Amino acid sequence: MRRPARGRLFDHATTANPALNDAPVSTGKDLSERALGFLLLMPAALLLGLIVFYPIANLVYDSFFSILLTQPGLGEPFVGLDNYARAMEDERFWHATGHTALYAIITVPGALVVGLGLALLANLPFKRKWPVRLGLLLPWALPLVFAGLIFRWFFEYKQGFVNDVMTRLGFEPLAWLTDPKLATLAISIAIIWKTSSFMALMLLAGLQTIPKSLYEAAEVDGATKWQQFREITLPMLRPAIFVALIFRTITAIQTFDIPYAMTGGGPGDSTETLAMYIHKTTLDFLDFGYGSALATLMFVISMVATSGYLRYTRRGSGRPGED
Amino acid sequence: MTALIPLRRKTVVWFAAIVVAVNGFFPALWILFTSLKTETELMRYPITYVPDAPTLANYQQAFTEQPLLRFLWNSFVVASLSTLLCVLVSALAAYALTRLRIPKRNLIMSVLLAVAMFPLISLMVPLFKLMRELGLLNTYLALILPYAVLSMPVCTLVMASFFQDIPPDLEAAAMIDGCSRVGALFRVVVPLAAPGVFTAAILAFVNAWDEFLLALTMMSRVSMRTLSVGITLYQGEFAFPWPLISAALIVAIVPISILIALFQERVVGGLTAGGVKG
Repeated sequence: MRRPARGRLFDHATTANPALNDAPVSTGKDLSERALGFLLLMPAALLLGLIVFYPIANLVYDSFFSILLTQPGLGEPFVGLDNYARAMEDERFWHATGHTALYAIITVPGALVVGLGLALLANLPFKRKWPVRLGLLLPWALPLVFAGLIFRWFFEYKQGFVNDVMTRLGFEPLAWLTDPKLATLAISIAIIWKTSSFMALMLLAGLQTIPKSLYEAAEVDGATKWQQFREITLPMLRPAIFVALIFRTITAIQTFDIPYAMTGGGPGDSTETLAMYIHKTTLDFLDFGYGSALATLMFVISMVATSGYLRYTRRGSGRPGED
Repeated sequence: MTALIPLRRKTVVWFAAIVVAVNGFFPALWILFTSLKTETELMRYPITYVPDAPTLANYQQAFTEQPLLRFLWNSFVVASLSTLLCVLVSALAAYALTRLRIPKRNLIMSVLLAVAMFPLISLMVPLFKLMRELGLLNTYLALILPYAVLSMPVCTLVMASFFQDIPPDLEAAAMIDGCSRVGALFRVVVPLAAPGVFTAAILAFVNAWDEFLLALTMMSRVSMRTLSVGITLYQGEFAFPWPLISAALIVAIVPISILIALFQERVVGGLTAGGVKG
């Protein structure tokens, strides 16, 4: 398998090929090379500007206005920070934020544990690799909303698979999707299933970079499998685990599809996430000003998490085990 | 004793394979079983696992009750055209970033990584407004443009990681032999970079095929719905016709599963090289 190159991309610029990096441009040839570079980057820059940067600027701008599409007669007056002040006092906003945080707290470590387990199993020497590889890829390739639908069917009260297994084992069937606590649990299980396989693939790539000789040496010294796991695997895997955790955290902040498909946010608003509340505020209540303020908050939270990730990958490039 | 160890090892390996495969395949298998059941068998209690009398009626109904074929076509058009656009633009950017002297390279790379992490929900509202102003709602372009751009960071990073493994000397040799830089790009770099381009294309295609939030927002007309949204139209206000939904799900899952199965090694390589989307 190819060595992942995320670390190297930054490396390349600073160490592997210094000639590319420094250098005041002097000769005509260099200038044309630079011009060509800009030309090649231009389409990407234009598209990013149109589809990402302009909309984000627009979003932040709109968040200072009151835009009620239900009452066009009111116009779109400037309201300063009122939308943000309103969010601070909006109970439903805090509920949604709390649920989002709760999903993150449950599913990020949950997906890590399951993903690490799957990665360790998938790292064993198989004769045929495809069933295992496909077993990891299929949950990744499945649209989130399909995973939500499938798990909704699993957790169905009467004909669902989960309650059937529970009754066969002698337990009472549970009202998974109509009890707020159980619904949160069911959604978390679905999210963990859906996201753990991608995590496993990333951790598997990390596992495959650990030299076999380390284990052989430990074996000679009489170390047990558990000691080998704690003293070799975990430390060597730490950078990969860290990267996988940040990815998962950032996507957890944005959770939408799976609760949308499983409960629609119900019962009441007990499983509603921040992303779902933003969606409802704008497209159902047509309150674009307030929705923009909420979406701006979401954007800021995501970017704070992302900056942590960026700092880590740039600082950590070239560390053993990271790539 | 010595003979026992390999045997035990073999058992562990088998156990591992079964756990990983069951975890990955079981939900899809359960949906497949459900899709072959009749409504009456579904209502039976205790529930059956393997269908008693498999029927294809649900599939027939799935195609007639909603324009499932149309959803398939919409998803296919949107995913392929956005992939094409994404790969084209990303390939140019990746080439510039790996082979040319670009000021602020690291900054550009960081911006790309950050864009890959942008919350879609924050983009949804202003993108909806933008597409409405451009009159693009309920057209393929309303999804093609965002999908192409949203997959661009991943594709650029994946291709960059492939491009920089191509020795610069090869390109230089071609240029000495009289190729222009663009000529060298197409005669030397592109053929060698084809696996990277292909890998990036698969990732972009899967991302576009799977996207839900924007598809839900931009396309309100049923005939323009893509699969991920179209599948949710089978449910009534209170009723969930599970065999019907399952049949539609299977139809929607099969194309992407075949793609993944055919190119699994590339997908795994691309995911770990780009490592940007969960």
